[in-house]
Amino acid sequence: MPTVQLFITCLTDSFFPETGEAVVEILQRLGCDVDFAPDQTCCGQPQFNAGLRTDARAIAKHTIELFEKTQGDIVTPSGSCAHQFRHNYLELFEGDAEWYPRAEAFGKRVFEFTEYIVDKLHITDLGAKWDGLLTYHPSCHTLRGINVDRQPHALLQNVHGATLVELPNSHECCGFGGVMSVEHPELSAEWLKRKISNLEKTQSPTLVVTDAGCLMHIMGGLKRQGKTQKVIHIAEVLANQ
Amino acid sequence: MTIEFRKRILESIQNETLQTALDNNTERRLKGKALAFESIPDWRERRIRAHNVRADVIERLEEYLGQFISNAEANGIIVHRAKDADEAINIVLRIVGSNVYRHLNNADDGSRRTPTLIAKSKSMVSEEISLNHALEKEGIRVVETDLGEYIVQLRHERPSHIITPAAHLKKEQVAQLFHEKFGIPYTEDIPTLTATARKILREVFLTADIGMSGVNFGAADTGGMCIVTNEGNGRMVTTIPKTHIALMGMERLVPNLDDLALMLSLLPRSATGQKLTVYTQLLHKPMPGQTRHLIILDNGRSKLRNSPLKESLYCIRCGACLNACPVFRELSGHAYIGRDLSIAPYPGPIGSVISPGLFGENYFQLAQASSLCGACKEACPVDIDLPKLLTRVRAGAVDEERGKKKDGGEGLTWSTKTFLKIYTRFATHPKLFAISQKFASLGTHLLSPRSQWMRLPAFTGWGYSKDMPRFASKTFRDRWDGKKNGALGIDTSGIGTSDNVPITPISNSPTPNSPLSRFTAELTALSGSVHQTDDPTRSIIEYLTSNNVKRIYLQTNLLDESQLRQAGIDFTHESDPTITVGVTKAWVGLADTGSVLEADEELFGSLLPEIHLTVLRAEDILPSLPDAMDLVKGKNAVFITGPSRTADIEMTLTIGVHGPKEIHVFVDDSKRG
Repeated sequence: MPTVQLFITCLTDSFFPETGEAVVEILQRLGCDVDFAPDQTCCGQPQFNAGLRTDARAIAKHTIELFEKTQGDIVTPSGSCAHQFRHNYLELFEGDAEWYPRAEAFGKRVFEFTEYIVDKLHITDLGAKWDGLLTYHPSCHTLRGINVDRQPHALLQNVHGATLVELPNSHECCGFGGVMSVEHPELSAEWLKRKISNLEKTQSPTLVVTDAGCLMHIMGGLKRQGKTQKVIHIAEVLANQ
Repeated sequence: MTIEFRKRILESIQNETLQTALDNNTERRLKGKALAFESIPDWRERRIRAHNVRADVIERLEEYLGQFISNAEANGIIVHRAKDADEAINIVLRIVGSNVYRHLNNADDGSRRTPTLIAKSKSMVSEEISLNHALEKEGIRVVETDLGEYIVQLRHERPSHIITPAAHLKKEQVAQLFHEKFGIPYTEDIPTLTATARKILREVFLTADIGMSGVNFGAADTGGMCIVTNEGNGRMVTTIPKTHIALMGMERLVPNLDDLALMLSLLPRSATGQKLTVYTQLLHKPMPGQTRHLIILDNGRSKLRNSPLKESLYCIRCGACLNACPVFRELSGHAYIGRDLSIAPYPGPIGSVISPGLFGENYFQLAQASSLCGACKEACPVDIDLPKLLTRVRAGAVDEERGKKKDGGEGLTWSTKTFLKIYTRFATHPKLFAISQKFASLGTHLLSPRSQWMRLPAFTGWGYSKDMPRFASKTFRDRWDGKKNGALGIDTSGIGTSDNVPITPISNSPTPNSPLSRFTAELTALSGSVHQTDDPTRSIIEYLTSNNVKRIYLQTNLLDESQLRQAGIDFTHESDPTITVGVTKAWVGLADTGSVLEADEELFGSLLPEIHLTVLRAEDILPSLPDAMDLVKGKNAVFITGPSRTADIEMTLTIGVHGPKEIHVFVDDSKRG
């Protein structure tokens, strides 16, 4: 029974705890011993992306130190945080003889949730059930940051009863981009409009994502526009029996 | 970040004409690129190789430059090095000065001074140093000859895209412009507009004192310059005027011609979705009677090379990152402005790195306008990690001195920066973090007691276009305690295992087997034509008589001239602007692109006439570009791939711009029996 450390992510923890519960439920069903280090906070990506590297480093050190005290792979329901851990931490500690190797060792333990299930546990059918249409928005950092795309697709294709329809121009950013969504609201709004109009073309009432950032952004846009579609994290689809 | 920048962004978004034009540009470019890459299934490996080639060049830049310059000089090219814009401009003015002197000496009336005319083909370096402006101030007439560039010059604008300068315009605007400037009847017919430009610019090519161009690549091992253009204007300005000045960024080198072939398999595919650009020139020496100058520009590149933004120098200026970028798609190049409101010379993702990299903090704010979605990195043919470089600009990595004083967050608004600083404090103190979550939950529940989604005012940024969720009343960490012991009833039925998820193979259209049939298929797809013959003279005479052509330009020692005379075809081996058909000899053909390789000196046959006939021996059809690179060493040579073309107006393909409208390849298969 593998021990799995859950990195819940600050957004899921604070806004969408149900996603976290679904993740735990699935991992436990798959025989994992799930552990949660309570002192975890945020991966520091907002600071990193904004260019506040001293701040980002402080958070990174906190996170690395915390997980060094734990065992097992680290699973996170966010491609974006996985990208931060795997790539941006190395960038933060480049040339640092002490922290670079620590960041590297830490990064190697990190897996995005669907990546872990498909590539590490070799499971693609979770016996999940869903009634109706589903469409999938590949979050930028899941798709291009850590190159995870076939894994969520494989899992969704095996959801019993669901019809997976393709989202037009699915690879396009939804406009979240962390601080960009507040620094450049005008740009963010345009991409959001585009994403929602593409969602409408699919006729699907449900949009599946792998990241809480895209979830709150697209869902927030749908709410603002008075639309009825729902955005849901893939873990919650897969946990549905 | 300045208010003006956001204002400019909003103006672009609200400009419907611009948005339609940009959508058009983006969609066609992305589709074209995807299709073009299908023909090289090994593109991933090529991309890695290209990255490594560029990395090596930038690492050993001075060494390669030394090699390149000494080879170019040995070939008779006059090489200048300019450390900044002013130096480059002064070098150009000095060259122009000596040219004016010569011009005056040759004039019938020594006292009459006509302004020097410079015909210019697209050069981003010249935009970077605002060369046109500097030359015009000195009374020199500069005419841009790339159709898109010509249009923006007539509108007194800067190019909005590094490959498609008029990408921001619709045909109605070009129609109005041509109607006003040239007095032609208003027409939105793109071929008519293109033909008008052809006529006006042809005069410019033939009378210009100086031709000026950029350089796509310099090959260190031969000292050759590679210039690619589709319309033929690049060939015109580098071959017709008595003086050619090439402007090149100092990083634009490849070690050798093999590496050049690799780059050429990626550049046009990424830039315009072509397998090869119509005119791919290799210039190694001056044309007969010509003086050829090369100005190699630093202008901040050495500084950039020693900064954490070094990787941005790997760029080959294909513009693919602009087309892939969702920011560029809303903005176009004109909205990429600095704090002083000047338009950045380089827009898009690469521009948001090198504009601050080369010109400093004025352009820092550009790097904040990105969601770091990674589409640019994915599109880059040399795999530049642009999102990483953007975060480095934001971190202030441009300037070491500044980096010591500042703590990063360049171009960020004060409020966001303060919020993030406070958030850092929470994120490094877990107890504080948990408490802050409780306060946030309480706060948001008070703000929005009934609904889980709250409406924040627009000034918060978030509230501009979306609602905000309340913080959960019970966070995950609070819920965790109950889950620790795995009390859930675990049902493993229905769980399926699989370790190989199929990856869809790249589909490839079947390719014809023989080199000739492949060559024919490729050239025909570009609207060129192939005539198989065992007697080129006879076939060409048949073609000419059936098209009622009486007089041609003919390359020497090519056809049986007595037969031509007998058939009543008059021919010349000299330049003659009235001639409509030129006949030249192809050294080799390239099967995978439908290209022919010829002497650049034969422009009176292969460039100036409307119809170009060329003779190619069937046995001289080589598989691909790398197989022909040995032949171009030390020569002025051009790979011609189809008739001249442009897509500068609304991305609509128009055949026949400055070069021929038709190309006919007469493939001589007599040796093959």
